[in-house]
Amino acid sequence: MESIRIPLRVAVIYSSGGKVTPKWFELGRRKYEIKETTYFWRDQIGEVPHMHYAVSDGQDLYELVFNTCDQTWTVQTVKSVQP
Amino acid sequence: MKSRTILHVDMNAFFASVEQQANPELRGKPIAVVGGGGRTVITTSSYEARAKGVKTGMAVWEGKRCCPELIVVVGDSRKYTYTSTKINEIFRDYTPEVEAFSIDESWLDVTHSLSIFGSAVTIAYLIKARIRHSFGITCSIGIAPNKLLAKLASDMEKPDGLTVIATENVPRILEHLPIRALCGIGRKTERQLNMINIHTCGELGRCDEGRLTRRFGVVGRRLKEMGQGIDDSPVSIFGEDDEVKSVGHSRTLDRDIDDPAEIRRFILQLSEMVGRRARRYHVSGKTVHLYVRYADFFSSWGKQTTLKNYINLSDEIYKAALGLLDGVELEQPLRLVGVSLSNLKHQTEQLPLFEDERKKLFATQAMDTLNDRFGSTAVTFGSLLPGKEKSGSQVIPPSWRPDGIRKVDGE
Repeated sequence: MESIRIPLRVAVIYSSGGKVTPKWFELGRRKYEIKETTYFWRDQIGEVPHMHYAVSDGQDLYELVFNTCDQTWTVQTVKSVQP
Repeated sequence: MKSRTILHVDMNAFFASVEQQANPELRGKPIAVVGGGGRTVITTSSYEARAKGVKTGMAVWEGKRCCPELIVVVGDSRKYTYTSTKINEIFRDYTPEVEAFSIDESWLDVTHSLSIFGSAVTIAYLIKARIRHSFGITCSIGIAPNKLLAKLASDMEKPDGLTVIATENVPRILEHLPIRALCGIGRKTERQLNMINIHTCGELGRCDEGRLTRRFGVVGRRLKEMGQGIDDSPVSIFGEDDEVKSVGHSRTLDRDIDDPAEIRRFILQLSEMVGRRARRYHVSGKTVHLYVRYADFFSSWGKQTTLKNYINLSDEIYKAALGLLDGVELEQPLRLVGVSLSNLKHQTEQLPLFEDERKKLFATQAMDTLNDRFGSTAVTFGSLLPGKEKSGSQVIPPSWRPDGIRKVDGE
C-alpha cells in the first residue's frame, strides 16, 4: 500500500438524493476508468467534512478524497490488488 | 414487567468485513485487522482466519503461526466509526429505543414498533437487508423478551444469523447451556461458580439465592436471575445512558521507549487529548490515572491521584500524570501509555481570580476554538512538534458510542 496525497481531476455523477458516483480520474496524465466503488465513508478534519471513496479500476484500489470545503479531490492511498 | 421484544444486532467480524468490502482482493481470504504501527494485537479477524484458529487479542506472530497465509491489514478507525454511526441510524428508523453496546453491537427495543412493521422477524430481515445493501456486510440478530436473551440469541448463529428465543422456550434453552455463554459472566465468575458445582444456566437458576449472595454479595441475586433468563434492564437510549465516569486515552507506541523525555512527550499528548475531550463536553475531574504496559507485554501498572480541585486543562492533567510517573522506577521500556480523568462533574463556567490563570484559560479556549475549526492538532504544544504528535496507535475503546462524550474520533 502506498500513502500519497495528490490533487487530481475527477469526473463524478451527482444523482438525485445527493449520491455522488466517481466515474473516472486523471493521475499523472493518465485517465483511470472507475469500475467499482467498493466503499464509502466520511470523516471530518476540524469543521471540514471529507468524503472518502475506495474505488477500483479493475487492477488497483485507490482512495479518493473529496474535500467538501474547497471542493478539491485528492488520491490518498493506492493499493495494488493484483499479485 | 410488561412483555417486551428486544433485538440484539451483532455485526459479524465487523472491522474485517468492512476491510474485505473495501478491498475486493481480501474477500474470502483470512485477514486480521491490527492497529497502526504494526505492533498492536489482532483486534478482529475474518471468519476465514477464525476457522484456522486466529483469535482476537493474539499477537500478529501468533496469528501467523496458526495461519501462515494470514493477511494483516492496518485498520482505519474512521471507516468503522462512520459505518457504525450509519448502521445505528438505520436502527433508529425502526425504533427510537436504540442502545449502542459497542461499535459493533446494539440493542433495539421494538415493542412499540410491532404494530407498524408487523413482527420483530420482519424488522430483523429489513435491517439485515439494508445493512447488506448499504455496506455489503452481514450481521447476526437475536430476538428475545430481554437484553440478556437477545444477546444470547444473536451469538447462536454466526455469521448472518437470525435466532428467536420465545419466552416459552427459555427454560429448555438455558437448562444445559454453559454459564459462560451469558453476557456478564466472565472467566473469573465462571471459575467461582464452577467451584460451587454450577456449570450450566439451569443449575445457576435453581441454586439457592442465599448461597449465591453469601459468595458473590449483592450480585448473587442477579446471577440467579441470569440463570433463569430474567433481565429487566431497559434499553438505554442515546444520551440517556449512565453518566460517563471517566475520560481516557491510551496508545500503543510504535516502538518501546525508555527515554524519559519521550515518555513525557507521550503523556503530554495523551493529556491534551483527554483535556480537550473533557472541555468539549464541559466536564472536569479530580482524579488522574496513569497506566503503562511494559515491553514484555504482560507486566503493567496503574496509579492514580486525587486532587483538591476539579481540572480539565491539559497541562494540569499532564502535571498530575507526571507526578504519578515520578514516583515509580520503570523496570522496562514502555509499550503502552494511558491517561484518564475520573471523579467527574459537569463544569460550571467560573473565571479564575488571578490574572495568570485567566490568561491560561483564555489561551486554552483559543486553542480549542482553532482546533475545532482546523483539526485536532492545528495548534498544539511546541514540545509535541514536529509532526510526531500522532505516533502510536489508538484503538477504538469498548466504550465508544455514536454520540456524545464517548464518541472518540478516529484518526
